Formats: sequence, structure tokens, C-alpha cells
Amino acid sequence: MKTPMRSLLCATLMLASALAQAFGLDDLRKQLAEPAVVKGPFIQEKHLRALPQPLLSKGQFVLARDLGLLWLLQTPIKQDYRLDAQGIARRDGGGWQRLPGKSAGAEQNRLFFAVLQGDSSGLQRDFELNLQGDARHWQLRLTPRSLLLKQVFQHIDIDGGRFVERIQMLETQGDRTVLRMPASNSASQLNDTERRDFAQ
Amino acid sequence: MPSERVLPRLFLLLLIAALALTGWQWHRGAPLSADLMTLVPGATQDPLVQRAEQRMQEPLNRQMLVLVGHPRRTQAIALAQRLGEQWQASGLFEQVQWSVQSDLQAVREQLLQGRLAMLSRTDRTALIDDPQAFVEQRVHSLYDPFSGFSLVPSQDDWLGLTGRIQDSQPRPASVQLDTASGALLAEADGQFWVLLRARTLGNAFDMQLPLQVAALLDDSRQQARHDGAQLLAASGLLYAANGQRQASQEITWVGGGATLGILLLLLLAFRRLRVLLAFVPVLIGMLFGAAACVALFGQMHVMTLVLGSSLIGVAVDYPLHYLSKSWSLRPWHAWPALRLTLPGLSLSLVTSCIGYLALAFTPFPALTQIAVFSAAGLLGAYLSAVCLLPALLKGTSLQPAQWPLTVAQWLMALRSRLLARVPSPALLGLLILFCIAGLSQLDSRNDIRQWINSSPQLLEEAQAVARITGYQPTSQFYLVRAADQTQLLKRLQSLGTRLDKLVETEKLKGYMALSQLVASPVEQQQLREALARLPGYWQPLLALGIPASALQTELAQLQALPPLDIDNALSGPLGEPWRPLWLGNDSQGVAAIVSLQGLSDPALLQQQAIDLEGVELVDRLGDLNRVFAATQISAAELKLLSCALIVVLLILPFGVGGALRIVALPLLAAVCSLASLGWLGQPLTLFSLFGLLLVTAISVDYAILMHEQIGGAAVSLLGTLLAATTTWLSFGLLAVSSTPAVSNFGLAVSLGLVFSFMLAPWAATRDKEHA
Repeated sequence: MKTPMRSLLCATLMLASALAQAFGLDDLRKQLAEPAVVKGPFIQEKHLRALPQPLLSKGQFVLARDLGLLWLLQTPIKQDYRLDAQGIARRDGGGWQRLPGKSAGAEQNRLFFAVLQGDSSGLQRDFELNLQGDARHWQLRLTPRSLLLKQVFQHIDIDGGRFVERIQMLETQGDRTVLRMPASNSASQLNDTERRDFAQ
Repeated sequence: MPSERVLPRLFLLLLIAALALTGWQWHRGAPLSADLMTLVPGATQDPLVQRAEQRMQEPLNRQMLVLVGHPRRTQAIALAQRLGEQWQASGLFEQVQWSVQSDLQAVREQLLQGRLAMLSRTDRTALIDDPQAFVEQRVHSLYDPFSGFSLVPSQDDWLGLTGRIQDSQPRPASVQLDTASGALLAEADGQFWVLLRARTLGNAFDMQLPLQVAALLDDSRQQARHDGAQLLAASGLLYAANGQRQASQEITWVGGGATLGILLLLLLAFRRLRVLLAFVPVLIGMLFGAAACVALFGQMHVMTLVLGSSLIGVAVDYPLHYLSKSWSLRPWHAWPALRLTLPGLSLSLVTSCIGYLALAFTPFPALTQIAVFSAAGLLGAYLSAVCLLPALLKGTSLQPAQWPLTVAQWLMALRSRLLARVPSPALLGLLILFCIAGLSQLDSRNDIRQWINSSPQLLEEAQAVARITGYQPTSQFYLVRAADQTQLLKRLQSLGTRLDKLVETEKLKGYMALSQLVASPVEQQQLREALARLPGYWQPLLALGIPASALQTELAQLQALPPLDIDNALSGPLGEPWRPLWLGNDSQGVAAIVSLQGLSDPALLQQQAIDLEGVELVDRLGDLNRVFAATQISAAELKLLSCALIVVLLILPFGVGGALRIVALPLLAAVCSLASLGWLGQPLTLFSLFGLLLVTAISVDYAILMHEQIGGAAVSLLGTLLAATTTWLSFGLLAVSSTPAVSNFGLAVSLGLVFSFMLAPWAATRDKEHA
């Protein structure tokens, strides 16, 4: 259930298969898909219902259109993640360790499938998409369609301009995760370190 | 003679009784069965093992797995949904499932309740041995955006135990959930495959159901093809349907072919339409056979019918005995001809019955059934040939065609010319050389798969389904017994530790044991004690801002959780996949199954059970194959025993020398056909051996005919030729059966008959031969 982030990845990468409006999903998809590489700092807040303060962490991300996403958590703990078509990997001393399709439960314990991999066409299948605003300020709301997903998510809100700036996931349980990417930049290609990170 | 009036009437009474019995037996539908397992020896008397076997067999016989494949995901799902609805409406299935919807709330509750009992062994050890690392991992996971969320909110489970339990649940290798539709989906060969599961109301061995299911599947296949999709199906039901179709086809072929051939032969030889009445004993024989079989076993297996249809050729021999006297007896009248041949007929019945009934003493219910069917059938045929047929043929004067006699005479002349050049001992020497060379090339092969005519297409599809879904159940499993649940879980765990090693080295794909679901009470207690020490290590959690009071409350709750036993764990939604494994309590204690995935070396599996008390590998197929091999030896012994019995029987009319001679020839014929199997590169199976057992009994008849020489050598040979031809027609047709076991049987008998016929003239004693 590497969901929230996978959904995020999908949302950003693939707003893709979307419909057309004044500023339609298709326009949004084109706008977001334009730069080959987007990177910048992120701030991640996990608002747990029972905690007065959110769990705050910071780091850097690199989103490569054709390769995937690097999510490098720097404070308060250091941990690198990589998301790509094959799934999710975590870096430890020995390099990238692919995580098993986590909890993608046996057919019997159905629910662990719940928020499974958002594959490309997945977003539209799983969520209703509602886009507002214009190219400089847009908001997209994802509302789960299936009963299964509704038991996990209330909705997911994504706002941005040229780039995605903020993603908020509201869980049905009442917890909330906010990812902010306030200062993203585009690049035409990856630098050497990044390329190595994607290559291994 | 009064007996000529009384016998037919008495027999008619008997016939009416048999008809009434059969009518009653069949009035509630055909008492037929297609269950292969009723044909093989019960592997065990142990009721627990039997129960476990049933438990493991059940899904095979009632479940159907279908993959609906289409290059486009949405199309595959839509088609699966449509087919699923059609199937549900068909009324054949108890349940058809193409999508899953789950009650997450029930799962949450079970996770919370099972935080101590259901924590996996690895996680339990981690918490007990290295609480500091355990807490650090939890802190990481709270920050980890990709750890996914636990179904249980953090504030209800600060220690993250439920998340760990969630992650340790088994999942199918390659099937995933389509969250929007709830469909189970796999991707392979450039297609999306949606899994459709159906569970039938009846099982594979109801006579109608498999055919109906197969028809429904064919219909669905056509729809799928129309939509550019493809279906792959796997189910024991399909094998059953295939087997049934095959069996009924073969009964038609063998029965119809033999019947036509025999009727034609009768017409050509005797040139009277009325002689076709000689087929009456055959029909009556089948009736008696079926009635006796159902009366004794409650039902009849379709394989008995297939093999039993070969009885046609043997049963028709009785009327032939006296019909063939029409070549020498002029004028021929039914009753006198019968009286003349009655002793030979009766001997023939007894020797054939000895041969068939010897089959009944093997541990194979299949052969017992065939033996009973055949013995009763022969008795019926004999009685009708002796009591009824002569009355029906009364007044018929037979003037048979001359050509058969010419053929017989020509054969005898050929033999004389041969003997003039090469004397009998030299021929015997050559024959022995032939036999030795042939026997040395014979190899023995026994496998339950010979009983099944599995179509390659069914096998291929089943393999494809296994490959795409990663679901590969094996027929072997472990049965683990113990005095109580604590001991059981301990034993399961010891076995599990060994199996883990096999999984690591990829000799086994996976296994499921109850010890993976729930910890023993002792282990639950250990965890409780370890939790008491946890406050010494949870500073990092407090540092995140989690109130100490919240942690304290959670700890108190955990300490207060009641111990869970196997029944508790199984009752929740997470227990569902494990439920078939639990056999529960009986007077001896408790027992559970460990199921295996992915083919493995049975010998290796056997080794894992060594030195583990209460652990037993149940390998029905392996056991069966071993029983096959062992039975081969006992079959050979039975054969010798039945020969000895026949010798004793024949001493009375023929003397010691005659009896030995008469029995030695069929035995030699049997050895010759064994050797021929070797030359032909055909394996010796249990079935060919049984066939030979039968040949000896049937062909003693030919030797008797030739020995008695009623009406001269050529006429006797003619009688033998007719008898052998009819018998050969029916068994020979079995050889074309697509079920290896049946065709093997047919081939062995056919070969045996040919040799018996060729050797039969030597049954005549020298002086008679020259008379």
C-alpha cells in the first residue's frame, strides 16, 4: 500500500489520461509533462489525529518524466526512496532494496489490495477527477470511486501552477498527510548523481 | 424331455427378477460414478487422514478457476463481470466470484485483537530481542511516506503492531486487486487476466454437473472469442467431464464395434437370421453384471462399463460352443447339441469365473468391480445359453457356411506342414528364445496418471493458470497431530522452520501452516512479558510528541488482551484462507494440515517429517503408485494361484497330464504376450498384468475345446477360432481406448488371445492328434 505517494506520482506524471475542459485535464497533463526533470525541496507533514503537532520532515525530490521519482528524506531522519514502474525501492547500506509489493494481500485478505499501485490509467479508474482554476493556479480533487478506496481515503487534493505545489491526502480515519513542494525547478536533464540513482 | 420345458420358464422367472431389480436400481437415475478415487485402494484406514484428504480434495472437485484475458484491462474486467453474472444465473454454482469487496472494519477489529497473538514470528523475535531497534523502526515508519498506512490509525496502535501483521499476511504471487472494480487481476503474455472463481453446488462426480459446467464454459469461450478475449480454465470438473465424454464414446465404440463384428460373423458363418438370437445371452449377461455390480457396490463406475463391454465377446462364446457343432452334427438340433457340449461349457464358465474372480482379490476396487460385473455377467450369459437359447432356437436347422471350415482345415494343414519340417520341441525352443529376448526388453511402469485420459489442452490450460496466478497447489500435504493446541503450534513451527529452508533454496514455492497465523499461548505470554520492558526503550516515540500517557494506556491494553487460540484467529476475516487447514479436536487431540505450493520432490518432503513427532506427509499419489507396484507382484501370485486352481479342477475330467497340458498352454501364451509387449516397446503395467491374468482363464477354454476334439481337429479349431475371434473383437477394440490403462489392458488381452489361439492345437494329446 505504497499508495499516497504512488498516487501522487501518478497524479503528477499522468494527469495524463484526462479529459478536456477550458483549462482541462489534458492541458494540465501537457503542462506537467513538459519538463523532463522537476526537482526541489519538499516538506512533509503528517497530521495524526492524536498528536498536537504534525510529524514534520524535509528533503529533496527529483521527478524524472521518463524514469520515476527520487524522494530523499533528510531531516529528522535520513532515508532515500525511489519510485518507478517496477515499484518502490529503499536505499540502505547495500544500495537500493526493492520493497515487496507491500501487503498486497492474498486474495483472501482482500483489503490489503486496497490502494494498490496506481498504474497509469489507474487514476481515472479509481478516482473521480475534478479540476478547477487556470494554468497558473489550479486545484485538482481526487475522490475515490470504489468502496474499497473510500474506506481508506476521503479525498486527495492537489494544487499547483507550473508545477505541483501541494498534495493533501485526507484519510478516512482522520489522519492527514500534506506534501509541499514550494520551490521546484525544471531541468532538461538529470545530473550524474541522479542518473546513477535511477540507474542502479 | 421335461427339462426342455421347465428350464426356459425357470430362467424367464429369474430374468424377470433381474429386470425388476435393475429397474428399481435405476429408477432414481443411473447409479453411475466417475470418481476416480473410488477405483483406487483406500490409502488409509485412519479417519483423520481421510478427513484431511477430503478437505484437500474438495476444492479440486468443486472449484473452477477461470482467467479471462484481454489485451485491454477494462475489456477483460467487463467480460469477467458479464460471464460471472451469467454463471451465477446458470444455477450450477453455489458461488461465482469475480470481484472482492471487503469489510475493512472487521479486519481492523481482528488486527487490534490479534496484536499479540497474530504478530509474526520474525516481528515477535525482533520485539523481544531488540526492543530498541523495534522502536526505531517504528519511528521510521511514521515518517516514511511510502510505508503506506496501516488500516488501524496510529493513535490506536502507536507501536505499529497491526501494520506488521498486515504486512506478514500471505499474498498470491502474481494476482493483484484492481481497486476500482475489486477484480483480481494478473498481467502476463501481454494480456490482462481477470480471475473468476466459481464453486459448484455438487461435485465433479455427479454425473451431470461436469458436462453442464463444461458446456457452459464452451459457451463462455465462444463469447470471449467474439470479444477478442481468451479464457483459460482449470478445474477437476473439466477433467471429469472430459473423462465422461471419453468413456461414453468408448463404450459406444467398443460395445458397438464388437456387437456389429460379432453379429456379422454369426450371419456369415451360419447364414440364418435366427442365429442372431445367440446375442441374447450377451445382453442378459450385461444385465446380470450391472445388477450384481450395483447391488454389491451401490453404484457402477464408468470404467467398469468400458472394460465390462469387452464381456460381449466372451459371453457370446457360450452359444458358439454348441452352434459350432453344426459343422459336424447333422442334423443339428439345439437341445442335443447343448447336451453334447454342456460339460465343456460348464468347465469354461468355471475357469473363466476363476480368472475374473482372481481379480477381485487385488486391493483395487476397480478390479473388484470388474470381476463382479464379469463373473455375474458370465453366469447370466451361461444360464441363458443353457436354459433359454436352445428353446428359442428349437426347430432351427443350421446349415452353416463351408468357408469357415475350409479356413480351419487350411490352418490345420498349414500346421501339419510346419510340424513336418520343424518338430514341436524345436518350435518350443524358438518360442522360448523369442520370450527371453522380449522379456528382457520389458520395463514396468505404474502411475495413477495411466488411469486418466487427460487431454493435452486441459493440462496446458491448467499449467497456464498456475503460471499466471502463481497458485500451484500440490497434492501432497502434511498432517500434524498433537495433544493440544500449544503442542500443535509448536510442532507446526518446527516443521515450518524446515520448510522455510526449502523455500529459501527454491525447492518449495511456499506453504501455509496455522503457526503463521497465530502464536501459541506460551509465545503470547513471552511477548506480554517483553512488552513490560518496553518503556525503557520508547524515548524516541516520546520525542515525536506522542504523549507518555497514550503509550502507557496502549501498553496496558496490550497486556490485558486475552490469549487467542486457533479458533479465535480463524473466526475473523484474516483467518479465511487458513480455515481449511484446521481439523479441530477429536478424542485423540488436535490436528492441522500444512498445505504446500509449487511442485517439489516428494522424497525431500518426506525427509522433512523425519524425527518430528506427530508430523506425517500425506502423499496419496505417491502411495498409490507404490500400491500399484506392490500389487503387480501379488497379481502375479494370484495368476499362478488361479492356474493351480484350474489344474485341480481339470484333473477330474482330463487327468493330471491333460490338466497340466491345458493350463500350460495359456500360461505360455501369457508369457509370449508379455514378451511381445517388450518387443513392441510397450510398458508392463498393472493393467497389462491383469489382462494376462484374464487371458489365462479365458483361453483355458480354447485348450479344452482342442483337447476334447469333439467332431475332429478342424471342427474344434473352428470352434476355437470363432470363440477367439469374438473375444478378440471386443478386447482388441479396448486397445484403441485413449485412457492408457484401458488400452494397455486391451492390448495385453488381444496379444494373449492371439498366442492362445496359435498354441491351442497343442492341447490335443498325440494319439488324438493322429486319430
